[in-house]
Amino acid sequence: MRQRRGPAVANDAEVIASSRREPERFAVLFDRHAPYIYRYVARRAGSQVADDLVAETFLVAFAKRDRYDLGHADARPWLYGIATNLVGQHHRDEARQYRIGQATVADPGVPGHAARVAASVTAQATRPLLYAALVALPPGDRDVLLLIAWEQLTYEEVSRALGIPVGTVRSRLHRARAQTRRMLAGTDAAATYEEITTNE
Amino acid sequence: MNEMKLLRGLAGEMPLPAPADLGAARARLTATIAADPAAGRPATIAEATASDPDPSDGRPAGPPPSHAPKPVLAAAQLMYGGAVGTVVQLIVALVFIGDLNAYHLTVLGHHLSSAQIGHLRLLIITLVIVVGLILIALWLWMARAVRRGSNWARVLSTVLCGLATLELAGSQGVAQLSLAMLTWLTGLAAVWQLWRPASAAFFSRRRELR
Repeated sequence: MRQRRGPAVANDAEVIASSRREPERFAVLFDRHAPYIYRYVARRAGSQVADDLVAETFLVAFAKRDRYDLGHADARPWLYGIATNLVGQHHRDEARQYRIGQATVADPGVPGHAARVAASVTAQATRPLLYAALVALPPGDRDVLLLIAWEQLTYEEVSRALGIPVGTVRSRLHRARAQTRRMLAGTDAAATYEEITTNE
Repeated sequence: MNEMKLLRGLAGEMPLPAPADLGAARARLTATIAADPAAGRPATIAEATASDPDPSDGRPAGPPPSHAPKPVLAAAQLMYGGAVGTVVQLIVALVFIGDLNAYHLTVLGHHLSSAQIGHLRLLIITLVIVVGLILIALWLWMARAVRRGSNWARVLSTVLCGLATLELAGSQGVAQLSLAMLTWLTGLAAVWQLWRPASAAFFSRRRELR
């Protein structure tokens, strides 16, 4: 979870408001959020294009800062929305990234408690299926699923990010989760997972 | 099964980037900020001049300048190359016009006699020069427009490349056909560069800035 800032630090809306008069202030927003935006786009489109996409995201945001609704103190949904649109234009890179994810074997991590090891093994076993499920999802459903699962945005924040009603966020998430579950269902890895989570 | 937990497990595999990884992106933003008309001025001055009818100090209004990505720059370079190719084509065409009688010209199904060709020589030379100059101007215009990020130029370049395919059929002689093919391939390569993802993102952003 991201660390929260102290009360003395200006929130994003205040930074954007001041950047309208002093554009240099906008760099504060970059320093605050760029690492997270980078990780998000790198997960989706790969590290090769992440640098370019982060730059594009903040350039678009800078150009549109006059239109930002200062009623929203947190600019993350706005930035994630811009980044998501840009990722959508790199759909080939995104598909390739998921294919790489399917083929790559993850590091099982530090051995420890039996359940943790089993969970790690399960995660590795489900990994190709998860990436296959992500590839198969419609882009709009995938955007919602990943903003919530990976970036931990709330429904309202995703609604702001993608410019869609909260009800649509819910229905897209429901659809995406159901489709992902269907692709995972019936596998040995899924059975192991069920066993682990039941015993927890 | 909780697929959300599994997805979060995937996400946890990627750490946050080091500040050095973001250096290039930050540099691009800083350069754009520095180009902003209000940059470098104290807030009080910026506020005092907010009602200034011409706050740009004579500079043309519009979106801040942005560096085009490599594929767009490559496309522009190829288009300049296409302009050079067209100049060569024009010269070759004018050289061949000196020997127009060697051609069996047919216009609207009518075979032209030597006398008719001689009569039309001036018209043909004028047409070749005018069309050649228009094509050269188009290459240069498209190259400049795509560098600026004009999406219409990208679309128009693609259409023109399609039309240029027809021109290949009208080329006569090995020299002309080879040159026409080379110029056409240059245009095709430029169009390919213009539709690569990095270029698409650039044109999209420029469109949003407008």
